[in-house]
Amino acid sequence: MLDKVVAQDILFEALSLGADFCDVFVEKSEVSSLSFNTSKIKDIKSGVDFGIGVRLIFGTKALYGYTNSVSRDELIKLTRTLAEQYRNQRNYNKDSLAFHSNKVQGIGAMKSPNVSLKEKIEMMGRLDSKVRSQSELVKQVNISLFMRDQSIQVFDSEGLFMEDHRPYCRLSTSAIAQDGEDQSSGTWSPGARGGYEFIEGQDLDWIATYVAKQAMTSLKAKPCPAGKMPVVIDNGFGGVIFHEACGHSLETTSVEKKASEFWDKKGEIIANEAVSAVDDGTIDNLWGSLTLDDEGMPTQRTQLIKNGKLENFMCDRLGALKTGHPRTGSARRESYKYAPASRMRNTFIEPGKYSLDDLLQSMGDGLYAKSMGGGSVNPGTGEFNFAVQEGYIVKNGKIQEAVKGATLIGKGGDIMKDISMVANNLDYAAGICGSVSGGVPVTVGQPAVKVDQILVGGKA
Amino acid sequence: MDASLKKKASDLLQMAMDAGANQADVILSKGNQFSLSAQNNDIDKYKVSGSQVIGLRVIKDQKVGLSYTESLAEDAMQIAVKSALDNAENSEINEYESIESKEQELIFEAEGKTDRSSTNEKIEFVLGLEEKVKKADSRVTAVPYNGLSVSDSESYYLNSNNVFGFQAFKYLSCHTSALINENGKSSMHYHGEIGHSLKELNYKKCIDESVYHASEWLNARSLKTNNYDIMFTLDAFEQIFMCFSNIFSGKGAMDQVNPFREKIGSRVLGANLSLSDIPQHKDAFIKSYFDSEGFASKDLSLIEDGVLKSFYHNSVTAKFFKIPNTGHAARGAKSALGVSGNTKVISGGNLSDENLKQGKYFEIHSLQGLHSGANKISGEFSFAASGYFCENGKVLYPVKGVTVSGNFHKMLANIEQAGSKVHATGDKGFFAPLIKFERVSVAGE
Repeated sequence: MLDKVVAQDILFEALSLGADFCDVFVEKSEVSSLSFNTSKIKDIKSGVDFGIGVRLIFGTKALYGYTNSVSRDELIKLTRTLAEQYRNQRNYNKDSLAFHSNKVQGIGAMKSPNVSLKEKIEMMGRLDSKVRSQSELVKQVNISLFMRDQSIQVFDSEGLFMEDHRPYCRLSTSAIAQDGEDQSSGTWSPGARGGYEFIEGQDLDWIATYVAKQAMTSLKAKPCPAGKMPVVIDNGFGGVIFHEACGHSLETTSVEKKASEFWDKKGEIIANEAVSAVDDGTIDNLWGSLTLDDEGMPTQRTQLIKNGKLENFMCDRLGALKTGHPRTGSARRESYKYAPASRMRNTFIEPGKYSLDDLLQSMGDGLYAKSMGGGSVNPGTGEFNFAVQEGYIVKNGKIQEAVKGATLIGKGGDIMKDISMVANNLDYAAGICGSVSGGVPVTVGQPAVKVDQILVGGKA
Repeated sequence: MDASLKKKASDLLQMAMDAGANQADVILSKGNQFSLSAQNNDIDKYKVSGSQVIGLRVIKDQKVGLSYTESLAEDAMQIAVKSALDNAENSEINEYESIESKEQELIFEAEGKTDRSSTNEKIEFVLGLEEKVKKADSRVTAVPYNGLSVSDSESYYLNSNNVFGFQAFKYLSCHTSALINENGKSSMHYHGEIGHSLKELNYKKCIDESVYHASEWLNARSLKTNNYDIMFTLDAFEQIFMCFSNIFSGKGAMDQVNPFREKIGSRVLGANLSLSDIPQHKDAFIKSYFDSEGFASKDLSLIEDGVLKSFYHNSVTAKFFKIPNTGHAARGAKSALGVSGNTKVISGGNLSDENLKQGKYFEIHSLQGLHSGANKISGEFSFAASGYFCENGKVLYPVKGVTVSGNFHKMLANIEQAGSKVHATGDKGFFAPLIKFERVSVAGE
């Protein structure tokens, strides 16, 4: 990692060149991945990512650079290159820059037990057999295991020095089913802020049944009818609806540019009173949890919406400078190759009082989206879209035949008001969210929710 | 070319062979980037970066192991060698994977004029982008995304059979957006351009496209849910085509995840259209000279007169299927061996663009949800779409807030009307005629 004296020299150089603020982010990540396909281990990869990012802030202007070098000369040269256009030489007392570290209550994180490659490959082999045993129509199984041990240091010109170690682990399984010309797939990809212990706690039988059933269900599904209709979106990855339709618009990354439909709505009702939502980085072992954010600030639980009212935005240092909203420990980045930006962590709608069956009965006729795929949003207009991975027609409150090819589209502000019922079965799911500071691990979550009306794309 | 980087790659290769590998190859990628963006008439983001990564593949006792490191220090490279050999030891015997290219040197420096613009000129360019979007339409409330990026990358390939390859790319890109708000309605559009120098960048097109479409779609209508004839702009067609490009993967066919794996010799593309992969297409912006196994890139006919003729192959998939290698190996320093294509060209339509545009049709300019709304195995898709409802080549009204759905595999096979004139996408990486897809499902009102 980086010597404190070198870090101090960089920060001193930046301040001497007129920067109002400077921080240095150091990252070393040990990465390994295994892929298992056609009932064989196919690729075993491992590697080390290492780099240093230097950010200078002049007013509200952010200048960012990175390098793989730990050489003092190289880092000072990078700092001078960054400041070249905006330098405003001034005297600065180097002795005034003494580092301090803040005490932080770490999140609970599983350890990385010493498990050999052979044991991991055997686990993948067992899972492959279990998926294939579900049906003769399962023709292919792909399994991948990803592990990352990220160590970071953050130094800043206010004297902060923080360190953290972040283990990540994710197991992805997909089954491909085929019947004649028709093919379909099912996937499940749990992940945790933790080590291999998380994988050891997984129920391989459940995963096998889930992915095979999803592939088989889609294989037999009919095209989804199109048009505006009520939809019940089930728990877990269904939370992608809030993530896309609202969450991105509550990051100051969008708010600071007024590229969010909610940028001036703090304190106002923006959702149905049934909706309360949280972005919480502190939950033990969850995929999007952090002890520190990437600016060295302890993470926190941020109430975004309470009974429909917008309470807070997710805010990083630059967002706070530009908007005046308080920082929330939400500064995140994929790696040292990105400057930090305000991003979601574990974002979910809080549980309500109803059962899933209450929601279906209340809906009568409509679509039940049991499992969601991903989606995207234009925060400026609030226009979002997301795919239904496993869906069913509902008639008179009863789940009927499976349908495929459904996409839900709409505007965030509209759908938040149309979520009229929230169930009590909160669950979470892991995903990778891509945005201005790269792809970061996030958790989406929700109990089942009923949306009174949304445009369902399908067969006309 | 940087001789010190070539030496680092050569050293790593030698270290792997000295440590007991039977064969090895090394990919070293180096990239420098400079980027800027503006907000409220000032520079908002300013980024300077330089990084490298070196990836090692070893084969020992017919087993393959992979590793990489971003540090080129000797101790980091020693760890990479040990990791690759450990990974190989735990792998299964792979009878198909070996390092086969031999005794050649492939060196290709970056094409195009060298950009000599100063940092100040680049700053002025970005500030101008934002300012001109705002001036173009008084209803523009923000230019949320805009910027200029200068990229410079080099790729080195060395293997234990004395192959050395080097290729470099340099390019600039710019983008801007317009967010328009009026009477409680909002609309936004984004457009990017690419070029070899600042002067070559078509910033005016960036501004005009962003403002025009954002303005038009502000008052767009939905369509009634029904089946419509549709045409994609070429950039939109490339996006959806690339979503389903796994149908040409020889690796996917070998791994039984390519849905077209049994379709060689079958009709998969309508209107007798043909599809070729042309790595050094004369009009392409980025050309490929050799693949990731050190084989010279060459043209490949994928579909001839509608019939699927070949997949993309590397040495492994070619050996598996007992056919010639097509030279389409793809491997990054951090990734395993796969396959990928280069510049694609679709040709063979017989209608003029004017004839093709007869009647009513929905012209799709923008698709959203591409990464989530496509099932690459079944071919099913459902995307949010924006565009214009047209008749006889003239716009009747702008459209947004609809979804377009179908099965892309079936849509390709059922094409009946395609133009004879081949157009290029904005990034000049995809060439195709206009194609009309009949009776496609659109959901709206």
